[in-house]
Amino acid sequence: MIKRTGVGTLGCFIALTSFVTAAQSKTAVKPAAEDTRGFNEFSTKVQQYVKLHRRAESAVPKLRHTASPALIAAHQQALAEKIREARKNARLGDIFTPDAALAFRHATDREFQGAHGKNARATIQQGEPLKNVHLRVNQTYPQTLPYTSVPPTLLLKFPKLPDEVAYRIVDHDLILLDVKANLVVDVLPKALP
Amino acid sequence: MKCRVLILAMLLAVLAPLQHAGQFRFPIQHDSVRFAVIGDMGTGKRPQYQTAEEMVRARQSFPFQFVITLGDNIYGGHSSRDFERKFELPYKPLLDAGVKFYASLGNHDGPIERSYKLFGMKGANYYAFTKGNVRFLALDSNYMDPKQLSWLRSQLQDAPKSDWKICFFHHPLYSSAKKHGPATDLRLLLQPLFEQYKVNVVFSGHEHVYERVKPQGGIYYFIEGASGQLRYGNLKKNSSIMAKGFDTDNSFMLVEITGDTMYFQTISRAGETVDSGTIQRSGPLLH
Repeated sequence: MIKRTGVGTLGCFIALTSFVTAAQSKTAVKPAAEDTRGFNEFSTKVQQYVKLHRRAESAVPKLRHTASPALIAAHQQALAEKIREARKNARLGDIFTPDAALAFRHATDREFQGAHGKNARATIQQGEPLKNVHLRVNQTYPQTLPYTSVPPTLLLKFPKLPDEVAYRIVDHDLILLDVKANLVVDVLPKALP
Repeated sequence: MKCRVLILAMLLAVLAPLQHAGQFRFPIQHDSVRFAVIGDMGTGKRPQYQTAEEMVRARQSFPFQFVITLGDNIYGGHSSRDFERKFELPYKPLLDAGVKFYASLGNHDGPIERSYKLFGMKGANYYAFTKGNVRFLALDSNYMDPKQLSWLRSQLQDAPKSDWKICFFHHPLYSSAKKHGPATDLRLLLQPLFEQYKVNVVFSGHEHVYERVKPQGGIYYFIEGASGQLRYGNLKKNSSIMAKGFDTDNSFMLVEITGDTMYFQTISRAGETVDSGTIQRSGPLLH
């Protein structure tokens, strides 16, 4: 009797484990078409942003390589100000639209649950991750904040970006940063585990 | 008698490295490539200044032509005063003597540094340059995106086969330090490229120690992240990959490459040689 109950419990456990594993893998692998649509939408929004960036850049004096950090900082601030003016109504999710956000979340889930997950986590830990810091759209990336390494295997899964912008990780948030203006373009909150 | 033998043995153990250090000499060939290596230096604090003073002293006998930096060039704020206090003042004698600096970016470095003329980056976060028969590739290990990887591949592909290939960047692919450990995700992508295209030497920082790693896949890896910062006693003493480590004082490296031989010497803030040796480039460099 006891033996039969044990086998029954074990059977239930195996069935439950299989179900959970199947459910997890179902969550991890979403239909590619859905993600492609989200990423395409994101890339279109990025291109629109880059056009705006280039217009703003053409309106400020050209940056020359100089031994004066003050001049570089002044250029950066002037560019950021022009972009802020042009995007004064910018909101969270303008670039990471709902569809794009879903595609990014699927990509990060797959990466962190996949074969490289351990390495990707280690990369973030190794790069002195920021804790309890949350940046806002149109905010300057604070000079004193270090950069958390973005796992390179994760970058392979994300849409490629033009030179003007880059992905950054701040706490668990994924940031789209304007690298020339040092300005937060958009934030995808809690994108990373 | 036993006591005398013990004292003699202890004396020999203490003197042996110094004797070795005393024996080390750079050839200082007229057409060689000579440079210094520093990392994690930009604190603006006393240890950075003292290490820089030792570099100036070392240059009197070993006239290096330029310096490569392994990131964390400027910690904290990035105002003009910060650049002055954390870079221009400590290295003023070198800058005044015409020594050029070539920087790579660490996790504490801001985008402003790319356009700062004295860092030689010309607006890019990764770039390459050639000195004599050495091709240097400065990488941005904070952000190794597909574009940078593809650039690296083409740079390595196109580099003359006769050239040494040296990569330098912030996050180490191998490390015996306890604080951070190796960047394994980065290693997955870079190591195969380095091996395929016969990169000879890699310099990194991030860990605030000095370490020479045993060759991995035929590549020599160095960590020099203690030229301003120091994480005292942070190396795992029993690490199986460590060929030599130094974690009790700040340090910098001197390197000379002539023909197929690279000579290196690591010097502490106190002016002591903590490591030295030669690396022989062997075999034809076939892609």
